[in-house]
Amino acid sequence: MSKSTSTSVHVSLEQARLLVEYLETDQQNKADELIAEIQNPIQIELFEEIGKLTRQLHDSLNNFHFDARLNDLATADIPDAKERLNFVISRTEDAANKTMDVVESIFPVVSNIQQQINNVNPLWHKLMHNELEVGEFKSLCLDIDVLLKTTEKEASNIHRLMTDVLMAQDFQDLTGQVIRKVIDLVCEVEDSLINMLTAFDISSEQNQSNYVPQLGENLVEGPIVNRESRKDVVSDQDDVDDLLSSLGF
Amino acid sequence: MKVLVVDDFSTMRRIIKNLLRDLGFTNISEADDGNTALPMLKAGDFDFVVTDWNMPVMQGIDLLKAIRADEKLSHIPVLMVTAEAKKDQIIMAAQAGVNGYIVKPFTAATLSAKLEKIFQRLG
Repeated sequence: MSKSTSTSVHVSLEQARLLVEYLETDQQNKADELIAEIQNPIQIELFEEIGKLTRQLHDSLNNFHFDARLNDLATADIPDAKERLNFVISRTEDAANKTMDVVESIFPVVSNIQQQINNVNPLWHKLMHNELEVGEFKSLCLDIDVLLKTTEKEASNIHRLMTDVLMAQDFQDLTGQVIRKVIDLVCEVEDSLINMLTAFDISSEQNQSNYVPQLGENLVEGPIVNRESRKDVVSDQDDVDDLLSSLGF
Repeated sequence: MKVLVVDDFSTMRRIIKNLLRDLGFTNISEADDGNTALPMLKAGDFDFVVTDWNMPVMQGIDLLKAIRADEKLSHIPVLMVTAEAKKDQIIMAAQAGVNGYIVKPFTAATLSAKLEKIFQRLG
């Protein structure tokens, strides 16, 4: 029996004659069989089509299960990544606080030195212009003595504190490594998701061109990391000021 | 002058506090989101609010709207210091009655200039 691509039934002259013969000789069963045989090509096509679909579905489901890595990603890698990112938050926060502790402790020291310089300045100015009176000389010497002692002591103190600020920046190396690992994970998840889309025959390229990430409530997006390629954001404070003044601010 | 600094990150509150102190503001309180800030504003006699936008529970923009909607608070100038940089958002904040808008990262000079402008306008 030829496999016809058409769904219409083709009856040969031979088959028609046979059918008439069966009916004339009262062989109803044989006539029915012959009709079924004539209709068969359609059924074969139908079965083939269903078979093909079933195979596709089976393969898709198999591929889906096959990616056992997905399970690891969801149950182990992603929770691990969350922990890593929390580590980044706490390390950067520690560093910021450590740095600010030091800076805040330096502020009063610098003010103190500034204050002593202000004390010395009027008499020093007089000395430089040959206007200093003898009685004032002793007072100037005492002020300068205090200033020198304070500056000497605080200079080494500030030096030590500056080293602390320097060391507080060591988070960058560690958080950099951690974030790089998380980026690797994100790439892997991306690949897995694309594979899944491909397995279900959904093109990942279809809706890619004009897609903008969804925002939460109140349009909140956080820091903009791709200012250059965005037209809906301001690029700096000057842009903000221009926009506000164009609104009459 | 009593100032309230609202930001969910303590480090940013600390930076702003230090800068404000440098500019002569010594009476500074802190809140970590709008929901904490609003009762403080209602209870205290604050003269000025510096707020972030993106915070948990109650966002800065909602705090601003709540301040403007409250008869007793509506006169308080609000300066927004935020990483939110979309034009729509800046327009939204302006329409809600913000007195100044600074995008992070910002400099001490920017903060000083905006404060000066705000208080100059208020006279």
